[in-house]
Amino acid sequence: MNQFDIIVVGGGVNSLVTASILGQSEKKVLLLEAQNQIGGLASTTEFAPGYKCNLVNDVVKWIDPRVLKKLDIESHGMELFSPDVVRIALDTDDQHILFHRNADQTTASISTHSEKDAKAWKEFTIYIGNLTHFLEKLYELTPPKLPDIGLKEALSMRTMLTPVRKHGIRGLVDFLRVVPMMMPELMNEWFESELLRGAISAAGIHHITLGPFATATGYNLLHQHVYSDSVFHNAHFIKGGTGNLAETLLKSAKSNGVEIRTSSTVQSIDVANGICNGVTLEDGERITTTKVISGLDPTHTFIKLVGPAELNPSFFTQVRNIKYRGSVSRIHFALNSLPEIKGVSQDQMGTVFSVSPSIKYIERAADAAKYGCIADDPYVEFTIPSIINSNFAPKGKHVLSATVQYTPYHLRNQTWSEELKVRLKNNVVHVLENYIPGFSTQIKSSAVFSPMDLEDKFGLTEGNLNHGEMTLNQFFFMRPTISSAQYKSPIENLYLCGPSTHPGGGLHGANGFNAAREILKL
Amino acid sequence: MSAVKNYDAIIIGGGHNGLTAAAYLARAGKKVLVLERRYVLGGAAVTEEVFPGFKFSICSYVVSLLKPNIIRELMLPKFGLELLPLESTFTPLENDYLLRTTDEDQTYREISRHSPRDAETYMRFGPLMGQIGMAVRPILETIAPNAIRPSLADLGAMKKLLNHFKTLSDEQFEYLTKLMTMSSADFLDEWFEFEPLKATMSASGIIGTFMGPRSPGSAYVMLHHYMGDIDGAFRAWGFQRGGTGAVSMAIACSAKHFGADILTEAPVEKVIVKNGRAMGVVLENGDEYQADKVISGLDPKLSFLKMVDESDLPSDFVTDIKNFRIRGSSGKVNLALDGLPNFISLPGDGPHLRGAISISPSYDYLERAYDDAKYGNFSQEPYMDIIFPSVIDPGMAPPNKHVMSCFVQYAPYDIKGGWNDQKREDFGDAVVNAIARFAPNIKDIILHRQVLSPADLEATFGLTEGNIFHGELTLQQLFVLRPAAKWADYRTPIKNYYQCGSGTHPGGGITGSPGEMSAKKILRNW
Amino acid sequence: MSYGNQFKAHTQLKLSPFFERTSRLNESQEWRRWSGYLAATNYELTHENEYFAIRTKAALLDITPLYKYIIEGPDAQRFLDRMVTRNIGICRVGQVMYTPWCDEDGKQIDDGTIQRLSDQKFRITSAEPNLEWIEYNAAGMDLSIWDDSYTTAALAIQGPNSRTILNAVTSDSLNNLNFFWMMETRFGDIPISISRTGYTGDLGYEIWMDPKDALSVWDLLMDMGKPFGITPTGLQALDMARIEAGLILLDVDYISSRHAIVESRKSSPYELGLGWAVKMKKKDFIGKKALEAELSRGSKWEFVGIEIQWAELENHYRNVGLAPGLPGTAWRTSTPLYKGNKQVGYATSGCWSPILKRYIALAHVKSDYAQSGSTLDFELKVEHYRKVTPAIVVKTPFFDPERKRSCPQ
Repeated sequence: MNQFDIIVVGGGVNSLVTASILGQSEKKVLLLEAQNQIGGLASTTEFAPGYKCNLVNDVVKWIDPRVLKKLDIESHGMELFSPDVVRIALDTDDQHILFHRNADQTTASISTHSEKDAKAWKEFTIYIGNLTHFLEKLYELTPPKLPDIGLKEALSMRTMLTPVRKHGIRGLVDFLRVVPMMMPELMNEWFESELLRGAISAAGIHHITLGPFATATGYNLLHQHVYSDSVFHNAHFIKGGTGNLAETLLKSAKSNGVEIRTSSTVQSIDVANGICNGVTLEDGERITTTKVISGLDPTHTFIKLVGPAELNPSFFTQVRNIKYRGSVSRIHFALNSLPEIKGVSQDQMGTVFSVSPSIKYIERAADAAKYGCIADDPYVEFTIPSIINSNFAPKGKHVLSATVQYTPYHLRNQTWSEELKVRLKNNVVHVLENYIPGFSTQIKSSAVFSPMDLEDKFGLTEGNLNHGEMTLNQFFFMRPTISSAQYKSPIENLYLCGPSTHPGGGLHGANGFNAAREILKL
Repeated sequence: MSAVKNYDAIIIGGGHNGLTAAAYLARAGKKVLVLERRYVLGGAAVTEEVFPGFKFSICSYVVSLLKPNIIRELMLPKFGLELLPLESTFTPLENDYLLRTTDEDQTYREISRHSPRDAETYMRFGPLMGQIGMAVRPILETIAPNAIRPSLADLGAMKKLLNHFKTLSDEQFEYLTKLMTMSSADFLDEWFEFEPLKATMSASGIIGTFMGPRSPGSAYVMLHHYMGDIDGAFRAWGFQRGGTGAVSMAIACSAKHFGADILTEAPVEKVIVKNGRAMGVVLENGDEYQADKVISGLDPKLSFLKMVDESDLPSDFVTDIKNFRIRGSSGKVNLALDGLPNFISLPGDGPHLRGAISISPSYDYLERAYDDAKYGNFSQEPYMDIIFPSVIDPGMAPPNKHVMSCFVQYAPYDIKGGWNDQKREDFGDAVVNAIARFAPNIKDIILHRQVLSPADLEATFGLTEGNIFHGELTLQQLFVLRPAAKWADYRTPIKNYYQCGSGTHPGGGITGSPGEMSAKKILRNW
Repeated sequence: MSYGNQFKAHTQLKLSPFFERTSRLNESQEWRRWSGYLAATNYELTHENEYFAIRTKAALLDITPLYKYIIEGPDAQRFLDRMVTRNIGICRVGQVMYTPWCDEDGKQIDDGTIQRLSDQKFRITSAEPNLEWIEYNAAGMDLSIWDDSYTTAALAIQGPNSRTILNAVTSDSLNNLNFFWMMETRFGDIPISISRTGYTGDLGYEIWMDPKDALSVWDLLMDMGKPFGITPTGLQALDMARIEAGLILLDVDYISSRHAIVESRKSSPYELGLGWAVKMKKKDFIGKKALEAELSRGSKWEFVGIEIQWAELENHYRNVGLAPGLPGTAWRTSTPLYKGNKQVGYATSGCWSPILKRYIALAHVKSDYAQSGSTLDFELKVEHYRKVTPAIVVKTPFFDPERKRSCPQ
């Protein structure tokens, strides 16, 4: 008799969601996290004495409403801070574009750059908002097993088309048209201002390795705006730090009877004759169970923990062919004082800033990654989380956390070294100096996390934050691979619930929700 | 007073698709008139004696998948269609080369010189792509349904396609999905390791597009080009004796044989539209022709934004056409030579000169060429697909002289500062220099040089922005979305006005397919 | 009359290290392609003498075109056990095993022999290149793989006199070398290894050597073998011998599942008569699950020998006034087999066996019709007209001499 019905490997957002829902359904669940705290990419940690940061994500773009409801998240004490100004696209001439929650206010901000664009803005946000409705429905589904889909499955997927009632077939056609688009194409249809075009394109390349000239960045742009209610660049901070999202889910899981063990590294997922029967920990402890659910990425799960010899050759091929190629770095700066940005008032500082002066600026940064180099003038997105969370820094001091693209995991003719990380930091400081004069003098200390570091710290293969690129070849029934897109792996009793599954990356918990639903179906 | 003549159908543009449509309509007993702006027929598929004694397929230079049923139904061999095989693909490298031929053993041996693993994989890859091509063909051969308001026939066609997809194996379906969405580089990386092989194969995924081999979407273009290899048995992929113009001439002769009238030097000014109905055309010289149906073989921009008034079209359709992506990215350099180039890595004459020569030593080489264009310059070191028509068909040049056809990418239409004579010559120099890297004697044997920038392609052939496919083959411009949703079945919002060019499904290349399917669609409801 | 040409082959095909000799001996100048090599179809103007050399004297064949791979390392045995269907764990050093290998759906990819050269070192031979598949499935294992195809040349000496000839050349006696075992020895000062294996179903050996020694080995064998009737032999004669022995040939009798474009072209080992080589008791191997399922539900197809009945065949010819027409060489065109009006199978290769005086063939037959002794109708063309003639399912090998396995007392 096994002590646990289910073992969940990994303690990220999706793992916690899955564990908690399964616990709610009277399953005996054990969750194993290798780190000494749960949260994965939703961790808050001290990076310099007295200074805290959100390790990876400063904001959440959206949380699956089904998760909020099912686990009654609010009752566990999580509070969102949804700023009025959701993003500021910085301009060297201080004519920044402020993206407000209210589209009309954004229009005013855009009009300094282009009257024409300002006029088109509201329509654009509604256009994008409408298209995301198609994704929202799609995201609730478990992808079908193609090509031999049965009538029953096909019918169960018809909810996918419900947005057609509201937006018409034309809406669906627009959805199908925008998904495969590249940013310049989409922008050519709408806007002329370089700054605005760059700032919007930033959503298309968020956390991916491709540049805005890549086909299907349209899809990533839509992905970032699911449940945004037509608020472009929508973002929410979590009070007390992003780690509080994980803490809340932890509380929920515990209240649902899930046993949580941190600092428990899984050494192997044990498989005999194609059937998974438990895990072995690094300290040699072997825990048997009837089902194992992995929140880790497929390469980590199948190649490292299961081992290639247990995989059938075609599945091994599929896993080996998953594209990761992380290229996002994070840099946290401990600052002596609050940075000053001309043209931005104090009360607007609790937002996301982006350095995206034009599409070509971002594309050039992406070019560097293409040739295996780090960008000299990177795309930088930053927040000052200490404004929202006063406990992040000693009084009067601040933290600035930057997300930097493109800094490829796979470098050519060099490797990730301390020296290169210093160069990367200097590149970022240099870029920020254009907007925050004297920035370099404010820096007390800093911490750089390269994709290599992210791999080491979080077990993210190639440092990819989405557990696999968010591209159309890894979308829906192809995510993470065509034979494992139903949250179920070809190995009996081994499941997946992480961002590698449909609907992909982000701290939204939709993957975990869908995975739990599939497991409970059985 | 200008003459008014009556026809059943008028076709604007004597390109190979327009001629194909004309031939099919004439064959069905319709009275057809083809109006060509230039003095010569063929559109982009044209042969001209640019320099005395030297004949060039100045734009399109190889025949990919000219559909076999068109060849039979229009009796093209009787009218002069003679396709010679292209025997090999030769990729010169710095100190070595890669050669692939039609012989399996030779190709295996050549590739295994570089990578035994790739040689093995290559033998599996070809048949697999063939299979996937087979899987795609029913789509290519289906008239794209109206996605907004499908007819009963459309629904029937869709159901047939869905059933067809259910017959695919899991593996085929997976690769098909990947081919539709990935970059050609990513797709090939899953199979091969030897970079020049991958780069050369990936290059077919960038031809005619404004993408690099690492741009997602290029894998589909690669598949599109693979179609030409599918019917390897009868070698549809090849070189037409006398140049591609002879293909057009064969179709034109067929059309005439069936009774079509063809006028050259007859540029159309406008389609006459009355009450939302096309009535005929008026030429630039004022001549008017009336017809029941008017069919445009021009690209969508010309068909809808120039040939008719915007006011005759619904506004969302006009938006769609304006948004239709048609960026020119390639140029053509035609050289008259006093001999044959001597490649450092494989000196002398040989079978490698009887096929295609691909200047594509690595992904990075292609990507850097693309980067130049992305930021508004022609490629300093461009990708090239070269053939020597005179080696395959000695009639193309005087004895012991040769013609060399270089398809060059990238040359953006929207080049910084615009195209002018100086830029065109600089571009020509860049091309010659890039060849000289691998065959230094090229500079000594050039007798004449013709350089065609995308601007020239537009001016000469009426290809908007010099795009050889009448619009890029990207996912959002395929099938039911080519050129615009609801109007992908060759009809247009104007009654009795139709389209039949490469800007419609299934897209560009010398396939004859859009012309054939358009004619068949028109005849179905006539 | 000869024009006294100085013949020199100009070819794009690969040449074996024995080509220097074989090209001069090939009086028919008939060549076939074998794995991209130029390989002799027959050396004399007809193949008959070469065929009888295999069965009555000694035939010498250049088998260098075989693909050969060396697998070496601590995980070599574990790896092979995962890849192939036979139990490599019980293969001892110096032993050779014939085995098929499959994809995960239990469909056969190729077949070949595995030689255990040392505890951690194996040589595997195959008909098609398999490097990619081998490397692929070795992921995560501690071993090295190298393509031995060009670094080892090979000859086969097959026939009743082959042992005598080898004993005359080698420094060690082969008398104790058992069927499917191998030994290291020398020809004078040339190190070679000899395995008691072959593709003829007769007493025979295969000799593995460094290509630089190829010509010396050839010359020694031809020289010492002369009194015993050694005969350079081409593929035509070999094809007949292997049919008599009931040995399958890739791309003729079956298609590798890696290259079969459609599912129906693929075959499992059970469907190829190789069920004996599938060891269900060993740990997981590629295709095991699918093969287990097939074993429990039964295979759709079987691979059998058939014998085309003489009297009826003769009648067909007699009816048109001809003596029975028999294929002079082995054929490889797929030929339908019927039961009543229904096609129930197809023969993939066959020949008139001169030693057995029987017309035999290898065939895929639906399991319901494949039991030994059942009569099927074999399609044949007599003077441009299609006829059917009875063929009886029989056990293979058709020819199985005692000497194949035995050692001298």
